[in-house]
Order: sequence, then C-alpha cells, then structure tokens
Amino acid sequence: MDMDMDMDMETLADDTDAALAGDSGGEAERYEAAEAEAELLRDRLRLAVISIATAEGKKAGMTVADPVVACIADLAYKSAEQMAKDAELFAQHAGRKTIKMDDVILTAHRNEHLMGLLRTFSQELKGKEPASSERKRKKSSKKDERPIDV
Amino acid sequence: MDEDATTSNSRAAKTFDPDLIHAIFKLVWRRRAEKSSGGNEDIDVEPAAETSRRNRSTTANASALKVSCELLRIFVTEAIQRSAFIAEAEDATVIEPTHLERVLPQLLLDF
Repeated sequence: MDMDMDMDMETLADDTDAALAGDSGGEAERYEAAEAEAELLRDRLRLAVISIATAEGKKAGMTVADPVVACIADLAYKSAEQMAKDAELFAQHAGRKTIKMDDVILTAHRNEHLMGLLRTFSQELKGKEPASSERKRKKSSKKDERPIDV
Repeated sequence: MDEDATTSNSRAAKTFDPDLIHAIFKLVWRRRAEKSSGGNEDIDVEPAAETSRRNRSTTANASALKVSCELLRIFVTEAIQRSAFIAEAEDATVIEPTHLERVLPQLLLDF
C-alpha cells in the first residue's frame, strides 16, 4: 500500500512539473495553470495525510472513515496556506526574504504548548545538524494527547 | 538520508515531504505577489522578469520547512487522537465524521 502511494506521488509530482512547464503566457492561462498546480498539490497533501492519519488511527486501535481523512486533509491544506502567509509576514517584518525556523514557530504563538513542542523540535534539528544520526522523536505528539485548554 | 531512517524505523514517524510543503508555500507567495503588484505591472511583465521582482523572492530554508512539516503533522495526529478519544467513549471502532465534529471547534482554536 505504501508502494502504491509513493508511486502515486511520483506521478503527481511529474504532473505538477508538466503543469509548470505548460505555463507559457496569457493571464488566463497562467491562472489556470496555477489552479491546476494547486489542485495537484492538494492531492499530494491528501495522500500524505491519508498515510499519517491511518497510521495514527492504527496506533489508537481505530479505523478512520474516509470523510474524516478528507476533511482533515482539507483543513491541513488551509492551515498550510495560512502558515505560509503568516511566516512571510513575520520574515518581512524582520527585514528578511528567507523564512527561518523562528518565523514558523511564531505562527503557533497562540498556543504556548504547541510553541514549546516546536521549539524542542527545532532545537533537536539544530543539534543533529552536525551528527544527523538522532532521529525525530514521536514522543512530542504523545505529550500532546490531552486536549489543550485555552 | 534521515528520511529513510525515519520511515524504516517505524510507520508512526511518518511526516510530510518538505518539498511538497515548500511547493504549497511558494504557490501562496506567488499568488500574493501577483495580487499585491496589482494591475499596473501585469502589462509589461514576462515570466522571466518575475524572479527579479521584489515580492517574488520569498524563500524558506530547509529547517524552517521541517518545522512546518512537524507543525502540520502534529495538527493531523492531534485531530485523529482527539476524535479517537471521543469514539472510544462511544465504544466505536471507527472514527466517524460526528466524532471529528465534536473536537473540531477546540482543534481549530488550538492551531
């Protein structure tokens, strides 16, 4: 099943490139190409969400109904879009053109707990850059199991 | 290479592909750049000239993308875990949309 998914992703990635290459001129054409690209990215994200959600469901001993996954995928795409906007604004405010880790962490500023998780994660990333042997802990998500009171 | 390590070590450590996230980000930034440049520039604009445009040059470094992937991964796992909690309380083995509905307001407030 994983293999199939990877293959799907490959094909979709190729399609994205094709959509990009087809982007030649004309405002309408460019708009259409951008829309097609957005659609493909959405599909690729959905595949990734499917695999993560099923794995997570299995861990809890549950199967996840398809509409639930589709809904979460859609939300994930929207939140990625929002994140892109926020991070860009933060970087611009700092007078940078490049998004750094801190900008992304700042996008989670409403939730202290989440911000803490991301801080730890980013410190681990920094720490393992020279060694690159230590892998990502999944502990971080475990800690987050309880709903967070706001 | 650490990608391989994570996938082989356990299924649960799955996360998003940073390239995919980067592509989504770039699409959003391009759209915003086009919108903010308004109608005055699109007459003499060529696709090649876009690279030099002020708004075009937003990029992201690799670790920032990894943190973004982690943030999205937490979002997805959190959605499933909370819905699973509700489903468990109802003695269900399948997470149905109604379970997600129950946790959605708080989830969206938290992210």
